[in-house]
Amino acid sequence: MYYDIYLVGVGGQGILTIGEIVAEAALKRDLPANFYPTKGMAQRGGFVKAQLRLGRDNVGPSIAEKGADLVIAMELSESLKALRYLKPDGDFVLYSSVWSPTAVMLGKAPYPTVEEVLAEIEKTGGKIIHVKPEGRPEFEGQPVPENVYVLGAACRYSSLGRFINPDEIRVTLENRWKKGVERNLYTFDAGMSSTL
Amino acid sequence: MSIKFISGNEAIAYGSLQAGVKVVSGYPGTPSSEVITSLFKNKPEDLYVEWSSNEKVAFEVAAAASWAGQRALCTMKMSGLNVAYDSLASVAYSGCSGALVVYVADDPGVSAGMCEQDSRGFALISDLPMLEPASVEEAYSLTRFAFELSESTGTPVFIRMVTATALSYAGMDIKDPPVFPECEPKLIKDIAKYTKAGSAICLDQHRDVIERLAKAGEIIREKNINSLSLSPEAGGLGIIVAGAVFPYLEEGLRLVDEYGLKTGPVSTLKVTATVPFPAEEVRSLIKHCSALLILEELEPHLEKDLYIEAHKLGFSGKIIGKLDGTLSRIGDYSAEQVVKGIAAALTLKLPADLFGSEYKGEKLTASRPITTCAGCPHRGTFLAINKAIKELKMKKDEVMVTGDIGCTILGMNPPFNTVWTEISMGASIGFAQGYYHSGVKTPIIATIGDSTFFHAGLPSLINAVQHQVPLTLIIMDNGWTSMTGMQVSPGTDEKFQQPGNQRLDLAKIVPALGINHFKMINPYELEESTAAIREAMTLSGVKVILSRQECAIQAMRQGKRYGKSTVIEGNCNKCKLCITVTGCPAISLGEESIVIDPAICYGCGLCSQVCNREAIERGPVKDVL
Repeated sequence: MYYDIYLVGVGGQGILTIGEIVAEAALKRDLPANFYPTKGMAQRGGFVKAQLRLGRDNVGPSIAEKGADLVIAMELSESLKALRYLKPDGDFVLYSSVWSPTAVMLGKAPYPTVEEVLAEIEKTGGKIIHVKPEGRPEFEGQPVPENVYVLGAACRYSSLGRFINPDEIRVTLENRWKKGVERNLYTFDAGMSSTL
Repeated sequence: MSIKFISGNEAIAYGSLQAGVKVVSGYPGTPSSEVITSLFKNKPEDLYVEWSSNEKVAFEVAAAASWAGQRALCTMKMSGLNVAYDSLASVAYSGCSGALVVYVADDPGVSAGMCEQDSRGFALISDLPMLEPASVEEAYSLTRFAFELSESTGTPVFIRMVTATALSYAGMDIKDPPVFPECEPKLIKDIAKYTKAGSAICLDQHRDVIERLAKAGEIIREKNINSLSLSPEAGGLGIIVAGAVFPYLEEGLRLVDEYGLKTGPVSTLKVTATVPFPAEEVRSLIKHCSALLILEELEPHLEKDLYIEAHKLGFSGKIIGKLDGTLSRIGDYSAEQVVKGIAAALTLKLPADLFGSEYKGEKLTASRPITTCAGCPHRGTFLAINKAIKELKMKKDEVMVTGDIGCTILGMNPPFNTVWTEISMGASIGFAQGYYHSGVKTPIIATIGDSTFFHAGLPSLINAVQHQVPLTLIIMDNGWTSMTGMQVSPGTDEKFQQPGNQRLDLAKIVPALGINHFKMINPYELEESTAAIREAMTLSGVKVILSRQECAIQAMRQGKRYGKSTVIEGNCNKCKLCITVTGCPAISLGEESIVIDPAICYGCGLCSQVCNREAIERGPVKDVL
């Protein structure tokens, strides 16, 4: 049994960390994992993608077109770059946060609307799991980390939860950040119990 | 022994430790840098590791260690191999005494910029064996073999990886390295081997290098480094698959099967040692099969040799690869190319919408040009160059500003649009001179980073001084080799240098070259920087401006802040001038005013200097680096 995940977003959202957490959880139960992050050049705000391939030894790092069981997209516009990688019966988790490039902020360049993006995802035939940034709760007065929240929602609503037990993700979260365990588990569970 | 989640690059590092490597050198370059980065973190006491000033120097350091009988490793990206190659070709013909492994990382699909070149060509030119790991796991085991092969044949050996294998991570069982007996260096005086003095010596060395490659080929065959698997019955499809493409073969075959298509008997040749060409195995495959498919990324190097062997054997079946037009020389591979190749070789009909469908939605993606980070000192330099040109009543398209490699090239993008060219390390200075000699009358500016200047800019500046070329060179000195992940350069602060190493100060080196005019500026002071650049542009001779501030990312990691920029809401009318001019990622538009994100603002104060409504308070600033 194997499972391929294609992740897209922008630098600073913690999208690569999602991949690392899932990979770590997989490795812990001897499930082979190949994780291929592509950071690009920008420290923050640039396009970032990652490919995580689970369940096969010596698998090639790149996912073919129409090959991903799951897409996790954390930025509205960048999510469109993942369209071609979704399997026709795959799951597309869209976290529709907006990171406006400067030209968009200045009103000099267009930016797609949520409706436009949802319509495009629909054309792929995949299942849309739309996680809304407005639903992200606070913990001790601070908004919870987006990436762990989205990971929680992906575990609940996509096929990921059937492949990796959410409890394994919880254990990984606890081991990864000794500080802020409570906050991260709260965030993950908030994602798990989010409403779409 | 422990299971670690490591990258292909780290696997090279661990494999080298397993082989008892003694000296490691290299120059940073994506996607190769992590080999040395990880060795610095995980270094046995008796291992010498360095970031060299450039790849040629790095190669020479490693090569000499191997001539003294030690095991040495040298690492670089493909562009670096171009730099190292002069010495490398010479050493290839001499051979080595200990072991010399050259690790080069290519970037098919171009995730990091620069030419999408195939370094296998270099191994072919100098008759050096080349090993291409197909996975993180293979990178680990093949590295050890590479050292053994080098030592037993006396030839330098290449390991080539591509971005996807170099930068992807897999779980690996890493053993503690064995204990190696102390290896005393040997001083070998052998004029016939270690010089090129006279044609007799050179001709002998040419014969030797050919013989060494043949011997390496025999060992590669004995050890079954390339694996041939023939189908039980003759005929059917034969697939040759090189290096990093191999893992996609099984996936591609499975996909073909899932589409309900029948391949019939399939034989495969996995080529892990791509140089020398595995002629014997290829001949067996040709004789066994009725159609052939060759899967290799980038250039059709193996494919051309395959045609030769097929011709010699009178093979009349199909050969599918790049030369017949089925597959592309451009970009990286996935299972997609495997499926396409199999379908072409067996004339199978794939579902029409399988790959390469048009996704109109992709075109809706907002363009996101990469720009300098919040607080980046280069921002100040670009703004000052633009301002100086304007104040001299010239247009930006009248003033040539040559660019160089690294973060300083971000000046080509909006909102700056300052820099015109990007060629290779150090080339901004040579190109500026050529533009002058072509007859350009307007001022010419060359821009370069500090590490790039140390790497290959110095000889070019010397040329400009000797030939008295009137140009303004702006060295943007942020104290780090930043874009490749913050490696130490010769100019990095003493406290980050390795113990016993010495920092070189550009403020002392550059004036000593006999340039006509030298000035140091603080790029966070826009007026002052603009005035200095403007002045230099009007003077004759070679002018150098050293624009110095530490990389803001590195400074912030040390807990530093240059100042504190605060929005005065009442004064801000949201004219967006600060965003338009600086493009700083820390600034966004809020409800009442612009908003500065305190988490990423370094307090450089450039936004405050650009604002004409006193809507951003700068606050006190720290001393210049």
